[in-house]
Amino acid sequence: MSSDPTEASAVMDCAELGRTLDAYLDGELAPPEEMEASVHLAACEACRALADGEAQLRTALRNKLKAAMGPLGGAGQAPDALRHRIHLSLVQERKPFLRRVLGPVPLAAMAACAAGALVVLVSHGGTDPLVEESVRKHTRDLPLEVTAAAMGPESIAGWFAGKLDFNAAPPHFRGTDVRMVGARLSNIQDRPAAYVRYDLPRGHLGLFILDDPERRFGEVGRAVQAGPSTIRLINARGFNVAVWRRNEIVYSLVSDLDEEDLAQLVQRAQGQER
Amino acid sequence: MFDLQKNDLTRDEFERLAMKHVDPLYSAALRLTKNERDAEDLVQDTFLRAYRFFDKFERGTNIKAWLFKILTNTFINRYRRSVKERTIVEGSERDAVHERFISREATEYAANPEQFFFDRLLSDDVLRAVDSLPIDFRMVVILADLQEFSYKEIAEILDVPVGTVMSRLYRGRRLLQKALAAYAAISGVLRGPADGEPVDLDAFRRRQGKTA
Repeated sequence: MSSDPTEASAVMDCAELGRTLDAYLDGELAPPEEMEASVHLAACEACRALADGEAQLRTALRNKLKAAMGPLGGAGQAPDALRHRIHLSLVQERKPFLRRVLGPVPLAAMAACAAGALVVLVSHGGTDPLVEESVRKHTRDLPLEVTAAAMGPESIAGWFAGKLDFNAAPPHFRGTDVRMVGARLSNIQDRPAAYVRYDLPRGHLGLFILDDPERRFGEVGRAVQAGPSTIRLINARGFNVAVWRRNEIVYSLVSDLDEEDLAQLVQRAQGQER
Repeated sequence: MFDLQKNDLTRDEFERLAMKHVDPLYSAALRLTKNERDAEDLVQDTFLRAYRFFDKFERGTNIKAWLFKILTNTFINRYRRSVKERTIVEGSERDAVHERFISREATEYAANPEQFFFDRLLSDDVLRAVDSLPIDFRMVVILADLQEFSYKEIAEILDVPVGTVMSRLYRGRRLLQKALAAYAAISGVLRGPADGEPVDLDAFRRRQGKTA
């Protein structure tokens, strides 16, 4: 077949068009071949009728397949139970996966470090409305009202100051790869709350800050000693959440991190504030 | 020691990228295994294997095609043997239906308004028609006409040359059109040509769920 489009009509005959019609209709011909086919079709009424018919048939077929097996069809939707099963199996897969990647010795070292950092004080089952709602609101990914890039990360606390009647000072996690992105006003259980979003090299964190003088929140999950203070770690809907308190202010940090990393991150942030 | 880039972040990234495609993967798995339990197991295995090999996945390339490749390989390795016997039986039955029942080439319908029998076909009949295709043709049609992968992507997914994709697709589509026409006729959506041929009894009984 010639690649010179000016010779096209002379080159592609009806038989050749028939052979390449499928690829032509699928948009799979190389530009010179496509040109040849178009030129032939423009000149040949019989082939044009054939091509039009085939194109219509293909569209009808595709629509039918989509209706039966596409995302809106009953046979095209994965059951929620399956999604859940997959998620759980991936969570369980994490350990062996790491073991393979890191090898047995570093893992043992890591486990020892983790054991030193995390001492479980008390474990308390059940769910906490604070945790539950933090995760839900964090995953909804609502737009931020201010960005750290526009006003500087240090000014975020000031932005909250005029809008909340408590001091919502977000930690900065200095010396880590955690970067403040921005903030917005939120609420937890109808209480006004500050929401601050942080980026990690991959993934992100969402921190909710609210005042809780009645101490209604934050008494569930595993209480662990992380450095000078006590934090609580809860796994909710696949996220690890750290909750800690400073007097009347409660912090709820929703993360993609595993427990050890999360605890160390919180510990680091608190160390800096002191 | 404090490494933010591993662990749950990898999983988070993987889930974010891969879970988007769970519906099409399940849909294809259902057509491969022909039952919901096996389809769910196949998809779960696919995700686990993909996750294990996630470090081999080249960021920025087509993750959907990559997942379909893993799905296909997993199916061939683990499930196909048990499905094989059934496929052979269905294959001969299918041919019988086509030969006895369909006298006109499906492409002939394209030239007249009867092509719109497609529109009135029930989804169940479409699924049966797809399931009646030999597995290699079934897979290619699903990848091309439902998932709209390119020939090159399909060739990579199935690990066959592009020429093979094209010939399978050609045959697969025509087999599917025939099968759809057969089901359309059985369910009375499409009148048989001229005075009609006798309805294929085996196919009719099978449709009714009785033993032929």
